Amino acid sequence: MNAYIEQMGLIAPELVLTALSLFVLTWDLLKKGRNSDHIGYATLVGLAVTGWLLLQQWGMLGDKGTQTAFGMVTIDRFGTFFKLFTVGSMAVVTLFVMLDKNERKHGIGEYYFLLIGASIGAFFMVSTNNLLLLMLGLELLSLASYSLAGFHKGSKRSAEAALKYIVFGGLSAGVMLYGISLLYGLTGTLDLGLMGHAPEGSGAVSLATQFDASPIPVAIAVVLVLAGFAYKVSVVPFHFWTPDVYEGAPTPVTTFLAVGSKAAGFAALLRFVGALFLTDGVDASIVAYGDRIGFLLAILAAITMTLGNLSALRQGSLKRMLAYSSIAHAGYVLMGAASMTSEGFAAAMFYLAAYYCMNLGAFGFLIYFEGVTGKDDIDSLKGMGWRHPVVAWSMVVFLVALTGLPPTVGFYGKLILFYAAIDAGLAWLVIIAAINSVISLFYYFRVAKSMFLTEPVPQVPMRQHGLAGILCVLAVVTVLAGLGAFKDPLRGWADEGPASLEIYATDAGSR
Amino acid sequence: MDHILSWITFLPLIGMIAILFVPKANTSLIKTIALAATGLPLVLATWLYFGLFDKMSADLQMVDRFTWIAGLNAEYYVGIDGLSIALVWLTALLLFIGVPASFGINKAQKSYYALLLLLEVGIFGVFVAQDYFLFYVFWEVMLLPMYFLIGIWGGPRREYAAIKFFLYTLAGSVLMLVALVALRLDMGALIDSGTAEVVSALSGTEDLGRNAYFSIPAMTALGGAGLLTGSTLPFGGDFLGMQFTTWVFWFLFIGFAIKVPVFPFHTWLPDAHVQAPTPISVILAGILLKLGGYGMIRACFPIVPQGFDDYSYALGVLGVISIVYGAYVALGQTDFKRMVAYSSVSHMGYVLLGMAALTEWGMSGAALQMFNHGTSAAVLFLVVGVIYDRAHHRDLNGFGGLAQVMPRYWALTTLGFFAALGLPGLAGFVSEAMTLVGAYQSPRPGFKLLVIISVLGIVITAAFLLWAMQRVFLGNLNPKYKDIKDINAREVLCQAPLLFLCIFLGILPHYLLDWMRPSVALLIQNLTVN
Repeated sequence: MNAYIEQMGLIAPELVLTALSLFVLTWDLLKKGRNSDHIGYATLVGLAVTGWLLLQQWGMLGDKGTQTAFGMVTIDRFGTFFKLFTVGSMAVVTLFVMLDKNERKHGIGEYYFLLIGASIGAFFMVSTNNLLLLMLGLELLSLASYSLAGFHKGSKRSAEAALKYIVFGGLSAGVMLYGISLLYGLTGTLDLGLMGHAPEGSGAVSLATQFDASPIPVAIAVVLVLAGFAYKVSVVPFHFWTPDVYEGAPTPVTTFLAVGSKAAGFAALLRFVGALFLTDGVDASIVAYGDRIGFLLAILAAITMTLGNLSALRQGSLKRMLAYSSIAHAGYVLMGAASMTSEGFAAAMFYLAAYYCMNLGAFGFLIYFEGVTGKDDIDSLKGMGWRHPVVAWSMVVFLVALTGLPPTVGFYGKLILFYAAIDAGLAWLVIIAAINSVISLFYYFRVAKSMFLTEPVPQVPMRQHGLAGILCVLAVVTVLAGLGAFKDPLRGWADEGPASLEIYATDAGSR
Repeated sequence: MDHILSWITFLPLIGMIAILFVPKANTSLIKTIALAATGLPLVLATWLYFGLFDKMSADLQMVDRFTWIAGLNAEYYVGIDGLSIALVWLTALLLFIGVPASFGINKAQKSYYALLLLLEVGIFGVFVAQDYFLFYVFWEVMLLPMYFLIGIWGGPRREYAAIKFFLYTLAGSVLMLVALVALRLDMGALIDSGTAEVVSALSGTEDLGRNAYFSIPAMTALGGAGLLTGSTLPFGGDFLGMQFTTWVFWFLFIGFAIKVPVFPFHTWLPDAHVQAPTPISVILAGILLKLGGYGMIRACFPIVPQGFDDYSYALGVLGVISIVYGAYVALGQTDFKRMVAYSSVSHMGYVLLGMAALTEWGMSGAALQMFNHGTSAAVLFLVVGVIYDRAHHRDLNGFGGLAQVMPRYWALTTLGFFAALGLPGLAGFVSEAMTLVGAYQSPRPGFKLLVIISVLGIVITAAFLLWAMQRVFLGNLNPKYKDIKDINAREVLCQAPLLFLCIFLGILPHYLLDWMRPSVALLIQNLTVN
């Protein structure tokens, strides 16, 4: 019984979130959708408690090392890192929902319920070595996201987004499940750790053994599972849903999809690749195959960033542009995974943290701007810079960060990604990524151009002080983090991630 | 005074933050703050130049150093030597002049001066940074204010010019970044290996025993000893059939060459110059172009001397093409400002030629030419600004006989033109002559031919400047301008210190050369591959 309670303690953050979701739903039913600000505050309090629990857990994990609950949930620093940022981004998204004038028209209680549900899914997805639980987490995240994308019931675009999302999502989930079932058939286990390395008597066969016997089924299975992740993080060629869904979904939802959902997808991808190919004790034959997977990821990264950036060049809508930009950024993060080293994984994690920060800012700006003008095309931004200087300059900071220029966290993140990639022998990929930053400058600064370089169009200014304040704080964080502040929550913690996955360190001395 | 370089660098930042808190209607206070925030660094820089700096030493002086981002082994490391001190002073002077020269700007003054001060921080930072990471951060920090300064306050095609400037420079700097990352990895592995060669190369520098993987002096020491060859990287010093040093050399060189700008990377410059408001053109031509030349001798050639040695003739050729082609294109311009812009391409060509020759005269001449072009080009852009403010166009053929109504303006312009075309007795002559003589002395084959060709550039330069003078000032007075006002006191005051320098350094160039001599000697020693 004690052991049971102890294990419940390990998943306390998830339990709090679950309770919170039910509470929010019930309260909304009782209040019949009236005055939903209180629900927002309740959500924020619940998220704060979750965050506090996660911080406690982080400290505890440092003392005790990785823990397992119920034989399925793996509580390690890698997962906790992503959970912390999921909670952080959820809090910001909740604030966005509360402050977004457009969203208040719609029944808002379910909104919070679905967002919390999605993050519970993300929580389980990032903290399990068991493919079944991973799939369940992913599906929970996806189902909540589908409904959120279609949340504007009257809007055709929103409905279209939801439908596209669900069709693509269903297809890719099917593909991934097929891959998982192949893996299960080959190894006799759903546990990634056992697939990577099966000790005597565990009843499982390691993937390496199967690979030596017949490489083709193993290759197919791994690639199919990767395809499922690639869809979740919108890597080319599984990105087609992204622009339409991002555009059609309510903007706070888009923010969550671009930030929380994508990071969870990457977390699962990194864990999958790490557990199968990079942990201590996996056999040499599978490591060699892992290198090939790394090369495949490198090629996908190059194509993804290039295609994302080139497509973003031609977008008139800021929302669509940010959608393509998020595809391009998936390519950058994938560089870290493609390095197949612990530095690469840490760099990918750090870049995701940076990406949270700058993308939350950029989408927050979009919400502000939609609130002011009711439009989302870049040309309507004309003169924003002169009428809303604080918000506009904050946006410039986010644009600079997204381009990857110093002194922002975007630059810092890109720099360590470049290290990891060059160190892994992917110098060609780094050159492609560098050229891509130049391309991305062009479309990011179309926004700055529209805001500052053109004369203002007369228009009634509508100020949203709360949102402006959030953006300002995010902008300051973006710059300070770029100057090396917040070493612990960002860089220090990201370095812990791969260690907790027990990825064997390459000769880290020289870095 | 401790931390003087940090004070010089960050005083403008303090001014910028102060300006942000001033209500935007209070323009006189904003201007006062801007004057103070550019004036104080000038005072400090003057004191530094004549008082604190030891001109007999080639060492880095006034060093401030502490660990900044430990995870990257990046340091806050600033210092100054003979190569940078004159440019720091010139920066302080030109930015200080830039403020009163901007008093005519009426649009969004608060943002304007805030951005101007931010730009100054970036420029100072590049000149004093001795840590490559810090250097790169400052290098990029300059881009954003410049983009907005051209883009918001510029001419009719400002949007195009601003983004073109930004894209070109960024294209260069991402190449730099790739090279920088590779260098940093190689440095890390070398220093950690702690072999006897590495230790002996680093002994005598401050970097021994410090894990400063980004330190430019450490890179110079290891690069000079022939150790920084990428042998520790996964591709083992040989990438796609070319040596690591060659890649690094070209990536860094192109990054800086775009800034200089060297033919064929110069096409952003005429657009940026023509569209930028006058004070920004002054700063662009006076200082920003020097960053390219300075970057080469600080953070490119000495780090990969092998690459420099292999390709110095190519650099000389690029320099000569810039000299002749820039002058020739300037000859064909009808826009006054565009003509001056192309003349900058031509004048900066001497810098490259002088450096490539690798002789003491050539290198000193190049360093001197950077300073002298800073003053003379600034004068020329101020001259263009004066006429543009009055006539609202810059068509060289649209004036005529202005000497009759604007005698004082004519006198100052003539002086500026002669300084630019290298009349003996004025500063431009000394530096151009030194680079050419230095290049002619070069033991490397083929440089004599380059010098002979580049003399053509001098002739064409004289031609376009004198022809422009004739069209604008001489001949019959264009009746449209019979009531035009002569240059006013503020404008004279902006130009006077620069013209004074043009004359003074034409007569007594050793007021610069003495300061740079030890550093130039050391640089040449570092660049000479055994």
